[in-house]
Amino acid sequence: MSLSAIIVMIASIIALWGVASCALIVSIRHEERKLALLRSQGDFEPFSPRAFRDLERWLTQHPESEHAPEIREWRQAQRDSLQRNPQRFYDWSHADDDVREAP
Amino acid sequence: MTTTISREQWGSRFGYLMAVVGAMVGAGNIWRMPYVTGENGGGAFLIAYFLLLYLIAVPGLMGETSLGRYTRQGLIGTFRKVYGNNRLVGLGLVILIFNIVLMSYYSSIVGWSIYYAFHAVLGTFTQTDFDTAALWQDFSGNTALNVGMHTIAMLMVTGILLFGIKGGIERMAKWMMPILTIALIAIAIRGVTLPGAMAGLEFAFSPNWEYLARGETWLAALGQALFSTGLGWGIALTYGSYLGRNDDIPLGGGIFTAVGNTSFGLLAIFAVFPIVFAFGISPSSGAELAFVALANAFGSMTGGYFWALLFFMGFFFANLTTAIAITEVGVTTYREERNTSRTKAVLTICGIIWLLGIPSAMNANILGYLDFVVGNWGLPLSTFITMLAIGWKFDAHRLRVLSLNRGADLYVPRVWELVIRYQIPAIMLGIMAYFLYSNLGQTPWKTISGLVILTLMIPLCMWIMNRRHDTPHVANSTGGQSS
Repeated sequence: MSLSAIIVMIASIIALWGVASCALIVSIRHEERKLALLRSQGDFEPFSPRAFRDLERWLTQHPESEHAPEIREWRQAQRDSLQRNPQRFYDWSHADDDVREAP
Repeated sequence: MTTTISREQWGSRFGYLMAVVGAMVGAGNIWRMPYVTGENGGGAFLIAYFLLLYLIAVPGLMGETSLGRYTRQGLIGTFRKVYGNNRLVGLGLVILIFNIVLMSYYSSIVGWSIYYAFHAVLGTFTQTDFDTAALWQDFSGNTALNVGMHTIAMLMVTGILLFGIKGGIERMAKWMMPILTIALIAIAIRGVTLPGAMAGLEFAFSPNWEYLARGETWLAALGQALFSTGLGWGIALTYGSYLGRNDDIPLGGGIFTAVGNTSFGLLAIFAVFPIVFAFGISPSSGAELAFVALANAFGSMTGGYFWALLFFMGFFFANLTTAIAITEVGVTTYREERNTSRTKAVLTICGIIWLLGIPSAMNANILGYLDFVVGNWGLPLSTFITMLAIGWKFDAHRLRVLSLNRGADLYVPRVWELVIRYQIPAIMLGIMAYFLYSNLGQTPWKTISGLVILTLMIPLCMWIMNRRHDTPHVANSTGGQSS
């Protein structure tokens, strides 16, 4: 086999089987963490700090939207979970204080 | 959080991931991708393919799965939630009909793989001087046998679907996909150790960079990336509708599904081409590759019985898990729309598919015609409709904020919305226009008749759904956003 064919073959294995295997392992490990949190404290925060900021930004931009009540419900669910639960699923160590500290 | 619902869910993360990747891995991964790769510049094709996979298939699957998880409904129920109670819900019916037509002839392909798996069990291919071309010709010409295999295929699909999402689909996928993986790895290891096998890998992986400048290479890569992942056909949406509200989608439903599916194509390259080249067989694709060339090669190999058994059982599993997924789209939708039991929905949808599939089982030309119409326009149109519904009507931004990034293992940034809104619909329109342009001169009757059928189908489906909404509709009990 030519060197270029070997390089492409190895790169393909890494790009496909490597990525797929990593995705499978990470996904299953995260699911185990979620299940552990569900067992120990009943629930966990549904949004990561960045995703939660998007949620708040959406509400700021569309306060009168017909969909705003649904988004507000989810914002509240997130805040309730952050207040109620001592353990987090997402890493909040770098999140802004206004996001981490639920009112 | 509108209503509380009672809806079956996947039993485990591993089960969902195996089911969804099993849905995408089908005959095309095994008997098409190796040949398409080799014919379109090898490594150059793979680079084009990876780019398109990450730019289109991964974001598209994230969106479709996310919408299904949000609405927790089948195809028509999802379109009703997106468009409201009006005739545009008929667009969901259009996709459903494509699924049913697709399954009506895919069932015949499942039947072929059952027939060959059966012969592999019997050890037919390792008989002295056995003629695999004659077996394929005899089988192809035997109408009753083809209808019989189509019937057996539909009975198997029916039997599995009767056990439900968790007890049927998930349980089967959890066994079949690992077995398929092991089977292909074992065949690949055996294949690359054969004398002359490296020429097969050279054919598949040697990069001809000039192919990257050819439009055909990109079109072939695009076709493989889209059709292999089944983007926009309602499968990811239906499977996503059985996810829990805090389950991850971007990593599992997006990246793993698309990349995992392609990984099977890569594995097929390792499993198929070394053997093809080691035995001096001309590289090809489709039924001729699997049922004639490879069957012949297995018969000539040491331990050929074992290798043929592994390959054809794996091929059968790949086809069956895809058939189950395509049929489930109809089952979930019918059950919700008619507010009926799963058993009745399974028997009805499988019965309809079985009846519609008889002409394709009897006549290969009908199968070819349906594949031409559905493959060239039906499926790209389905993807186009689904992406418009997600990107524009539902609003990609709202879906990303509300559903896609909820419980996500990976944060999906705003650029995803542009892909869903502009990139994928534009590419789908381009594909349909190209197919029209390239087919009109070569097969004008097939092209025009296919287009007429499609053109009539959209207003007809919209009219049907409009009429249905004019009559009092019983809101089904399985809808709602959260549990």
